[in-house]
Amino acid sequence: MKQFADSTNATFSDLTETATLCPYCGVGCALNYGSDSEGVIHYAKGRDGASNAGRLCVKGRYGFDYAAHPQRLTRPLIRRDDAYPRGPLSTFSRANSSGPRKPGGIVDYAEVLPHFREATWEEALERAASGLAKVRDTHGAHALAGFGSAKGSNEEAYLFQKFIRTVLGTNNVDHCTRLCHASSVYALIEGIGSGAVTNVVRDVENAEVAVIAGCNPTANHPVAASFMKQAAAKGTGLLAVNVRRPGMASYCEQYCQITPGSDVAFYNAVMHVIIAEDLHDQAFIDQRTEGFEALAKAVKPYTPEAAEAMTGVPAAQITAFARRLGQAQSAMFFWGMGISQHVFGTDNARCLIALALLTGNIGRPGTGLHPLRGQNNVQGASDAGLVPMYYPGYQAVSDASVRERFEQLWNVSLPEQPGLTTAEITHAALEGEIRGLYCMGENPFLSDPDMNQVRKALSSLDCLVVQDLFITETAEFADVILPASAFMEKRGTFTNTDRRVQIGRPVRQPPGQARQDWHILRDLAQRLGHDWDYADESAVFDEFVQAAPLYANLTYDRLGEHGRWYPCPDANSEGERVLFGDQFPIGRGRFVPAELGQAPDLPDDDYPLVLNTGRQLEHWHTGVMTRRSRALDALAPEARVEVHPSDAKRLGITDGSWTTLRSRRGAVEVQAHITRDVALGTLFLPMHFREAAANLLTTPELDPFGKIPQFKICAVALAPLSTPLTPPQPDAVSHAAG
Amino acid sequence: MSDVTLTIDGRRVTVPEGTTIWDAAQTLGIDIPVLCHDPRLDPVGVCRVCAVDVGERTLPAACVRAVSPDMEVRTDTQEIMAHRRVLTELLLADQPAVSQREQTTGDDKLYALAREVKVTDIPWPDQSERQPRGQDASSPVIAVDHQACIMCDRCVRACDDIQHNDVITRTGKGYSARIAFDLDVPMGESSCVSCGECVAVCPTGALTHQSLATTDAG
Repeated sequence: MKQFADSTNATFSDLTETATLCPYCGVGCALNYGSDSEGVIHYAKGRDGASNAGRLCVKGRYGFDYAAHPQRLTRPLIRRDDAYPRGPLSTFSRANSSGPRKPGGIVDYAEVLPHFREATWEEALERAASGLAKVRDTHGAHALAGFGSAKGSNEEAYLFQKFIRTVLGTNNVDHCTRLCHASSVYALIEGIGSGAVTNVVRDVENAEVAVIAGCNPTANHPVAASFMKQAAAKGTGLLAVNVRRPGMASYCEQYCQITPGSDVAFYNAVMHVIIAEDLHDQAFIDQRTEGFEALAKAVKPYTPEAAEAMTGVPAAQITAFARRLGQAQSAMFFWGMGISQHVFGTDNARCLIALALLTGNIGRPGTGLHPLRGQNNVQGASDAGLVPMYYPGYQAVSDASVRERFEQLWNVSLPEQPGLTTAEITHAALEGEIRGLYCMGENPFLSDPDMNQVRKALSSLDCLVVQDLFITETAEFADVILPASAFMEKRGTFTNTDRRVQIGRPVRQPPGQARQDWHILRDLAQRLGHDWDYADESAVFDEFVQAAPLYANLTYDRLGEHGRWYPCPDANSEGERVLFGDQFPIGRGRFVPAELGQAPDLPDDDYPLVLNTGRQLEHWHTGVMTRRSRALDALAPEARVEVHPSDAKRLGITDGSWTTLRSRRGAVEVQAHITRDVALGTLFLPMHFREAAANLLTTPELDPFGKIPQFKICAVALAPLSTPLTPPQPDAVSHAAG
Repeated sequence: MSDVTLTIDGRRVTVPEGTTIWDAAQTLGIDIPVLCHDPRLDPVGVCRVCAVDVGERTLPAACVRAVSPDMEVRTDTQEIMAHRRVLTELLLADQPAVSQREQTTGDDKLYALAREVKVTDIPWPDQSERQPRGQDASSPVIAVDHQACIMCDRCVRACDDIQHNDVITRTGKGYSARIAFDLDVPMGESSCVSCGECVAVCPTGALTHQSLATTDAG
């Protein structure tokens, strides 16, 4: 007879579960890591968090092993004297090295490491401090700049911007929000006086309809997407607008595929119909807004028929969309990079805000504006002042009384001049105006548009200090590389897309001599003569709250395991889910009309197709983390350019075949994926793969308000790769590392 | 909605009408064992482990049966204990010798139940040698072992009703009935997005994480 054999595994009965967060996207899922006494993480389990209710996606569930990757930096590194003049060190970074026979995957350490030598922390910090100080003393403080990170905690963001402003003495501090929702934030502050979301994702269950505009939540905010799909199953009408079919389209009542860059025309036409058919909320407009007449006048010429010609969406569909939205009792508006990453990104966002004001859909359950924030702490990093024009809590650098208050708080005199934004810093470096750069956890070489220009900009610097987990493409240019801590090695608060502030807790130690990011900042500040002294992360948080009234009533003790939303009106409150029920921070909401603009870098006979860039489910940004996660790399090991079947047929391209993709600035070689998700004449390339780096192709033009680059439109030509190929041998490249 | 008062194991409890016996017992701190039910899912009552005595001819599943006024529920009679134990033995009869779940996340609910009801011998035929149910290792992150599947339907509901990915279904008849992906293709080739919700809810070693604790250099 069979016996019951108890197969309990001792390892798993001894695991410690630590309540922390997912390190990836802005949804901010709460999870437990099960780790052993060595700090090895064995699994991630969803926890009952306010934004995820126990759910996780592939990245949160399986993407945690990057922190334990053998390529983690364990000692400070200093560039060897013979590695100057400064430049890229790997074959990949040196030139247009893309394609099947070129190095792929992550940075090849065998090629890059010999150009650096290990150093003590004492020597590395001295080199970093003196390098930055020398630029300041020779060229002035405004020749320095800092890129912080939306992956760091609020405390790290707060200290980084404080370091750049008080120790280096410039407002040239920014982070990847500039590449993400800067235009949305500009439009929101202008329109309602607050840059954060007015309602949380999960309130979509109370919405009669929800507009899913220019975003792909099933890939980029998968857990948020699950709540949208759940709402749809219970009757919420989802209306998607996009140039590329989002996964969510299958759950939508209506999906309108617009031509690239025609968002303003589409939404103006929707508003035209709503006003023409008297579906607008006149009471809300009268009591809560200003500027309606100008808006009504501006959208008048945008008849559905006129918009059909501009957007490619049939007039009847535009009218149906407008009626469904206009007749709904409640509507939420979600949007993403398809709205924001344009030279007219601010105008696109203005239209969505106007649409919400026009239909009275702000301030009640089931209504609201929700730009889906990308990074786990992009909301918090912006709140903490990691932007050139605001101190913590969106207090303007240009306001003398605000500056005075911060001078008192920080006990220094502060620069008056607002700083430069991310892409402006790169451009200024090319002009020789920026001479020194401190990068904490950013990888501008891959993330910023027009890589060939970024390469020149980084090469031209007098001083580059990079603080990161790995040798990134950007770190190849550095004088000093400081080994930092990963998410699962630090304690800190993180603010998600819903404005919920939650504490992340360490489950493992940084490897070797790698250190906490905020300790590195503190030591650099002390070395440069500033008396920084904080007992722990919660003391930094308390100073941040003191600086930013936005976070009033929050402390580590009150945040506990589950966090709270800000604004938090009193010590016992959970914080506010829905904002602006009575009035906006600027009093009345402002309609800001927008006219359809024209994108630069449009197609012509030589570059006849439009390339769209973005993210895919299994990967994250420049791939520094996810391509070092065994599971995620196995699920999605290579880049594919999405091509419409008719374009593919015309060009002689088959599924999986190699192609050359060329823009006016560069070319990449990449395999094709044939799909009807992209419209005829358009292509999509994910941004994560350096061997097919989307940003070799993109254009550097910026939105005039948000200063966000136009990642979503660039003219390209696609052709089959003519020479016969041997497929890449990944082993030959990446195993050298160790 | 009105409230209903009933008795569970001799203790009075008042709950809203429509509450299940299982949920009512939870409010008293009485943990009725269950394999197919998870509070995040709509109950289906297929594993029958949570069966209780309400004085009827048969034993209803507590996870599905709603309370009624003055109901007298027993969760711990000899008959119930024997019922639970035999069911557990039957479910264990063709399980793999070692639970993959105990080896990866350490939370196999079937094995935990077996320990709780003190199963030692399994006096039922083991069909696994004559008619093995098979494995599917095609996904880089999720290991499927049909041999450990008890057809509790949790993964199907988690995929459909929690994550709304609609990938997992059931196929086959009788002993060859099993879960399947899309139109019965290997999991790694299906439309699965690897969210892992099915692994999170699976009570046995049928759906487990491929090991992630170590990372190779390349």
